Amino acid sequence: MTERVVMADKREKFIIPIGPQHPALKEPGHFEFTVDDEIVTDAAVRLGYVHRGIEKATESRNWIQNLYLLERICGICSHTHAMAYCLGVEKLGGVTVPPRAQAIRSLVAELERIHSHLLWLGVAAHEAGFDTLFMYSWRDRETVMDVLEGLTGNRVNYSANLLGGVKFDINGDQGDTIRRGLDFLEERTRYYLDVVTSDAVFLQRTRGIGLTTIEQAERLGLVGPTARASGVARDLRIDAPYAAYGDIPVKIVLDSAGDLEARFVVRIKELFESYRIIRHILDHLPEGELQTKMPRRIKAGETISRVEAPRGELFYFIKSNGTDTPERIKARTPTMCNMASVAVLAVGHQLADMPMILAGIDPCFSCNDRSVVIRQGEEGGAWTWERLRQYGIDFYRRQS
Amino acid sequence: MSEILALLFFPGGLFVLAGGMAYEWADRKLVARLQNRVGPRWFQPLADTVKLLAKEEVIPSGVNAFLFLGLPVVALAGALTAAIYVPLAGLNPIYSFPGDLIVTLYLLSLLTLCTGLAGANTANTFSLVGATRTLTQLFSYEAPFLLALLGPALAAGSWQINQINAYAHDHWLLLTQPVGFVVALIGLMGKLELPPFDAPEAETEIVAGALTEYSGRGLALFRLGRNVELMIGLTLVASFYLGGLGNPLEFFAKTLALLLGLSFLQSLMARLRIDQTVGLWWRYGALLVLAQWLALILIGGLAR
Repeated sequence: MTERVVMADKREKFIIPIGPQHPALKEPGHFEFTVDDEIVTDAAVRLGYVHRGIEKATESRNWIQNLYLLERICGICSHTHAMAYCLGVEKLGGVTVPPRAQAIRSLVAELERIHSHLLWLGVAAHEAGFDTLFMYSWRDRETVMDVLEGLTGNRVNYSANLLGGVKFDINGDQGDTIRRGLDFLEERTRYYLDVVTSDAVFLQRTRGIGLTTIEQAERLGLVGPTARASGVARDLRIDAPYAAYGDIPVKIVLDSAGDLEARFVVRIKELFESYRIIRHILDHLPEGELQTKMPRRIKAGETISRVEAPRGELFYFIKSNGTDTPERIKARTPTMCNMASVAVLAVGHQLADMPMILAGIDPCFSCNDRSVVIRQGEEGGAWTWERLRQYGIDFYRRQS
Repeated sequence: MSEILALLFFPGGLFVLAGGMAYEWADRKLVARLQNRVGPRWFQPLADTVKLLAKEEVIPSGVNAFLFLGLPVVALAGALTAAIYVPLAGLNPIYSFPGDLIVTLYLLSLLTLCTGLAGANTANTFSLVGATRTLTQLFSYEAPFLLALLGPALAAGSWQINQINAYAHDHWLLLTQPVGFVVALIGLMGKLELPPFDAPEAETEIVAGALTEYSGRGLALFRLGRNVELMIGLTLVASFYLGGLGNPLEFFAKTLALLLGLSFLQSLMARLRIDQTVGLWWRYGALLVLAQWLALILIGGLAR
């Protein structure tokens, strides 16, 4: 006779664990949904499985090495990380980057937005069990990946940036290749917009699900397309133009509905906006140098730099102590801001909607994982690298 | 002697198992091509089965081991038994008696029931939710599916499968009972938990649903049972609605045509939530097929 396992929790709570390893998650995270039959009554989020200590690691590398390290915070929006870092360091160093370099930075950032949004479209469709849309959108995404590879030599982690400029130029042939790719993608995107707004079965899964009002969006501090789908007019390309965006007319894409359908619509319409911006940049590419000379030591000071990543506002704080290594670099990624909304929105929805609601914020776990130590009665202050390392060793020793 | 051969090799037994795997491959390949993927090679279902059969079967703690090991066997046995009453390969069924339609339909439901019980038997939360969904879905499609297959029986005036098959040979019931055909086809998708009715095993929510804890032999048997049921289901619907199955050629042409339709439907739609599935069946499926029944009875009465 085998022994019957008694449910560990006697309070008659039925908890569905999603993660750390689960087919719905492409990266490790942990979500606990307390369900009553199929209705979720409580949700908890636990993050931090892919914390890599990158912020601390920047302090032992010089300014140029950090460019490549920070680019690896996120595999999808790698260019925006490098760009935010470069813009901040250039501001600290008092260097003016040539306009042609700024335009190329913006162009790569928009290409990256296209690939990120198309990737999200596929993932979100897969979470809804709509694998055909998943396969189609990822097939078409290859077009923009090829364009990026042709420009920079890499499909991800393009390393397009240098401190003080960019690494490569765009010639006429490359411009034509990009335009051809965009024409194809624009036609496909029109089709996808039609699918997500008219497919009756798919609409049953998205319309009215995960409803976020504009007040909720403001209170939870949502950013990026997730916030814009709730009617929050917030886009750094317009509010605080950086790189070449000051010279490019960017139209904000808004939707007031606030449900999952609106998030689909906003992201797909942003694709059209990106196509338009890229064509504009190609048409008005300023002539001139690609790089300026950058000092090896950055004079002491601190600054912030913000860019609009595909997922929303990416924030960098950079502090220099006058040497060739930074004193402190702090990155806050958009997923961090949006993650709280998952736990709030989950309550009252069906279990089947959970993967969709989670995918709705376009989560990127490894960029948002960080370690924060909060202990009362202990003085604050920065930890040394040795202390952090010892803490990690002790932590895992305790676990095993 | 010939009966034993018929049971073990053709058209029962091995032929059904091999046919089931072939139909699974055809289904997967068609869906893959429609989704712009390459799809599996022709021997993939066989390779999967052999691999699973050779693997260790892990019995999780907290389960009734007898049920855990027995349910897959019962499920496959149910599906294989159902095979002997249907006109496989367009030949006459091995056994036949008045009312065998009802027996066949209940034997086909055994697989779903076993899947649900297998899920409820384990202590895994994904399995429990999957089991609830499997059984909920069973109760939603079962009645309309049954009614949709009894429509042709009503028209033929017999509840014996080979007689309905013979009657259907002269009457394309697809034309006279279109609602029943659609409900039967979609009911078959619900029965087999194919997309968009795959909420009971929605991988992005509950991993593999009721069968999450199964590996090795148990999983192989459940999969084989599902494959056999795909073949039998296609045979039943084709023989009742698509002008009967008189010879192997007709059998393959008609069932494969149906399978093509199934793969179109599978790749067309997003997954339905379980409440949407139930709503669809009871609000539309059951009512429509009942309305058609009423019409059939009225017309039959008037004609008499």
